[in-house]
Amino acid sequence: MLEIHDLHATVGDKEILKGLNLTINAGEVHAIMGPNGSGKSTLSYVLAGRAGYEVTQGSIIYRGEDLTQLAPEERSAKGVFLAMQYPVEIPGVTTLTFLKAALNAQRRARGESEMDAMSVLKRVREKAKALNVPEEMLRRALNVGFSGGEKKRLETLQMSLFEPSFAILDETDSGLDIDALKLVAEGVNAMRSPERAMLVITHYQRLLDYIVPDRVHVLAGGRIIAEGGKDLAHELEAKGYAQIVKDAA
Amino acid sequence: MNAALPWLNTRRAEAIETFRVKGVPHRRIEEWKYSDIHSALTAEDVASAGSATLKISGAPSNVEIIDLAKLDEAAPQWLRDHLAAADPQGAMNAAAFGYATGGVALRVPRNVTASTVHLAVSGRGHARVLIVLEEGASLTLFESHDAATGLRNIGTDISVAANAQLSHIVIAPTAATAIRIDSIRAKLARDARYHAHFADFGAQLSRTDVHVTLEGQGSEARLSGVSALAGNVHSDITTEVVHAIGNTHSTQLFKKAAGGRSRAVYQGRVTVCEGADGVDSQQTAKGILLSPRAEIDLKPELIIFADDVKCAHGAAVGDLEAEQIFYLRARGLPEDEARNLLIRAFLEDAVLEIADESLRTQVWNAVETALPATLEDAS
Repeated sequence: MLEIHDLHATVGDKEILKGLNLTINAGEVHAIMGPNGSGKSTLSYVLAGRAGYEVTQGSIIYRGEDLTQLAPEERSAKGVFLAMQYPVEIPGVTTLTFLKAALNAQRRARGESEMDAMSVLKRVREKAKALNVPEEMLRRALNVGFSGGEKKRLETLQMSLFEPSFAILDETDSGLDIDALKLVAEGVNAMRSPERAMLVITHYQRLLDYIVPDRVHVLAGGRIIAEGGKDLAHELEAKGYAQIVKDAA
Repeated sequence: MNAALPWLNTRRAEAIETFRVKGVPHRRIEEWKYSDIHSALTAEDVASAGSATLKISGAPSNVEIIDLAKLDEAAPQWLRDHLAAADPQGAMNAAAFGYATGGVALRVPRNVTASTVHLAVSGRGHARVLIVLEEGASLTLFESHDAATGLRNIGTDISVAANAQLSHIVIAPTAATAIRIDSIRAKLARDARYHAHFADFGAQLSRTDVHVTLEGQGSEARLSGVSALAGNVHSDITTEVVHAIGNTHSTQLFKKAAGGRSRAVYQGRVTVCEGADGVDSQQTAKGILLSPRAEIDLKPELIIFADDVKCAHGAAVGDLEAEQIFYLRARGLPEDEARNLLIRAFLEDAVLEIADESLRTQVWNAVETALPATLEDAS
């Protein structure tokens, strides 16, 4: 599904990713853990194609195609989804209007027919119910005045609505209490399928108790320095990042 | 001039004298810094501009309408009183008073509700408008301008008596070769309300001057406006709200998007007079520049002589936020569509101030008409 080879990326003049390698197969859930400043968020933005995050070397091949050549909206239409750590507030655009516009833009780009307002609403309602997103929230301006939990639930709702092939979850656990975390994790787990790959980026092991990964990678200094099964997350929690970084050196 | 009414002729002659002394406004006058009428017009151009055409429709029979071109000795006392009391201070407002041979006066009697009366302005030249709402009266006035050429100079006097409410919605479409000047002076008595929205899509020079005096306790002015500009057009909305007495309330919300080489201006002055405690005033003006050669000037100003007041003002000009554009693109919206969605949301905010649904839709349609050019003219 995704092959990242020797990825170097800069933000401004600063090189953040320094030769990152990562392969994720369809059906797998991988976790990337790492201390603050290790490049986790940079990786997620590079994968989504944010302006200002420049790939200077290496490649990102997604389903046989070079992702770095595609605009963010093209990546989205091809099934790449980034659930953001800080979902952006957009005043004046209601959540439902946004969901319909986004869903239909993706469909259009794939050459599929657009969905009418009623069909979109029906689908959104189904997904919203499972994630405990009230109807009233859908009528409010996108993310404006939403609590941390509401924002993350809405990101998860979008993921389940857009049904991406490859989903990146950037610090989905930040700002969530345990109940909200469980709810979001349930939503994510419901999306696990043999055709779908996920990359869960997190600072803490806690989230991985609820979204159990197939593989865990430790990112430090812009490179993957350790890899393992789900137990690596627990080891990290026990030893701390400093020790793992030291062991790897 | 009207031969039958020597008293009015005297007032007009005085107004022409005021205009002659002040001259055509130029940019060295602070209030006209961003709208140099002088570069486009001579005093003779102003004097010979003729009379614009005003048409009123949709007024119920209990609303009194008087064609000022046909004014004679039979003119009712209320009209005589208002014309006698008119005090056209600014040069262009004085010109409108002095040179206009026509115009319209409209009176909504006590406790009468009239919605929606349509005032259509067409042609070039001067005109006077007088709107009088008696106690407890209510009027929604929709003022539409056609895309004129040449000078159009309208002077409007508004009097809102106690407990009366005027909603005034103005739509002025793009008129690249017109010089459009609108001078509005409104006075509000106790618990009166004046809600006005100015949708201005620019002219060679377009200047809307709104002067509101809150004279009665509990009175309220709510001013809002929207502009979407492209090409070389100009749009200047200059407001002055005077809180002459305490416990008065004013809000202002103006949103502007400028593409091409257009220029959008907002100057807003709020004055709270001595002893006018308990005033609440909010003033917001925001602009989005869509091209490197467009210009937006926002100048909110607060002058406070009272102690116990709540006044806030804010102004900001910028580009659309990159973070918001990225979020929308990452969810599949092409960049154009993302920008479109954001700019509409930005402008809609001010349009939502219009309470009347049908007029809100009309204003929004006017925004939609102007917007493609504004968005495309990003070079």
